[in-house]
Amino acid sequence: MSTLRGQQGHRGQTQFVGVERDTVNAQEFQTFYQENLSLIYRFVYSKVGNREEAEDLTSQIFIKAVRGVDTERGELSMQKWLFQVARTTIADYWRSYYRISVSSLEELLDAGWEGPANAEETVFNVGPTERVQRILQALPEHYREVLHCRFLLNLSIRDTALKMGLSEANIKVLQFRALKRAADMEKVVAETP
Amino acid sequence: MSGEDQERFEDYLELEQYLEELQAGHIAHPPAEMTPAQARVYRMAALFRSASPEASEPRPEFAQALQAKLEQELQQPVTAVQSSGKQGKQGKQKQPSRVSRRRALFAGGAAVAASLAIGAGIDRVIEQVGSNNASTATYTPTDTPLIAADVPTIWHPVTTLAKLGNDAVPFSANAIVGYVIRDNSDPTKETIIAMSAACTHMGCIVNWQNSDRTFYCPCHGSTFTASGGIDTNTGNWGVHYLRPLPRLNTKVENGTIYVEVPAPSATSSSSGAGGQTVWLRKTNQK
Repeated sequence: MSTLRGQQGHRGQTQFVGVERDTVNAQEFQTFYQENLSLIYRFVYSKVGNREEAEDLTSQIFIKAVRGVDTERGELSMQKWLFQVARTTIADYWRSYYRISVSSLEELLDAGWEGPANAEETVFNVGPTERVQRILQALPEHYREVLHCRFLLNLSIRDTALKMGLSEANIKVLQFRALKRAADMEKVVAETP
Repeated sequence: MSGEDQERFEDYLELEQYLEELQAGHIAHPPAEMTPAQARVYRMAALFRSASPEASEPRPEFAQALQAKLEQELQQPVTAVQSSGKQGKQGKQKQPSRVSRRRALFAGGAAVAASLAIGAGIDRVIEQVGSNNASTATYTPTDTPLIAADVPTIWHPVTTLAKLGNDAVPFSANAIVGYVIRDNSDPTKETIIAMSAACTHMGCIVNWQNSDRTFYCPCHGSTFTASGGIDTNTGNWGVHYLRPLPRLNTKVENGTIYVEVPAPSATSSSSGAGGQTVWLRKTNQK
């Protein structure tokens, strides 16, 4: 399999000996990959919150998408297919940490585990970052501040406590409630254009 | 939802533990037994993490390694061939053993498309197809427009001459996101140009900054001049293959500026596999 490709040094000038039939598709794939990698990665990151798992799940998603492309994709566009795989992969990931038995994947998705919604929404980068900003704007001052310190500024609990003039114990309560409120607001905020 | 009186002291500690692990760059998982209310809190924590300074983009090493892995996968032959029309009506190859996954990927009805990033990399594709005797290459290697010839187009009104100042004006129409701007490069005549806003690196949408008349890509810092060219001042962090932003046709009629974009129904069913018209297929049924 890799013997043919082994002859090429770099993508680019070198001719794809023997695989010319696939060349166009190879380039298409590369472009497709580059366009969607960030999208998927940021989406996954916003679900797991750390790089290592974000990379791992992103890999899983792309590999699953490629493996299933001929058997499971049906008539979906490549991008839709990719997003669908992303959604189910994340859903599986969360399901393992979710006590309430989830009778169906749909239920889980309804509960908010939806993927990168559609191209329209992501136009002009309404991704996770934008959603965070919108939620922050809608939160009461002290909730906004604690989340800003802990997440956007990446401050430790101690520094956050200093900055806000509260005890660390206070901050722990505050950030919990802030996230809880943020979750309650998310849907409202996200649906407001 | 549960009231605050139902929160336990441990909830706060567990959350803090989780956050500290994440801040340290470690893998962290929410507690195994969560109520739905807790699950929402942790889901929100992960979301907010993605807005932290170090989240943002995949590492280049990772991007390359994964791409290599996928390339290998793509060399695998298709495992099963749909006999029915399920794979699309556009004449998928009928020789399963000789069809690599790669073929299945974009063959026939498969649409890459309509990600917001239309235009990214198209030039690259074209350039490299060049001298192959690929029967699939139906387009010419040079000067291929963003919108293929057989895609029906419409003229989308963006703004008016009267309103167009020196700023770039963004528009979004039928899977194309772009900017209209006055081209000041030739002061002797007034020219209005339009270009795709999808960065030719990885397709993020570039932002216009009027103070230095430059398009900035929020993802990896690519910069483009007001006419969509490569901004040589910044060096663009050594991306050699960066291309100018693809142009779109414009016209002015009765003071209104129009941009030529694919018609809403442009499904380009006539094109064969590999044609770039797939780029313009819409993914959203409205």
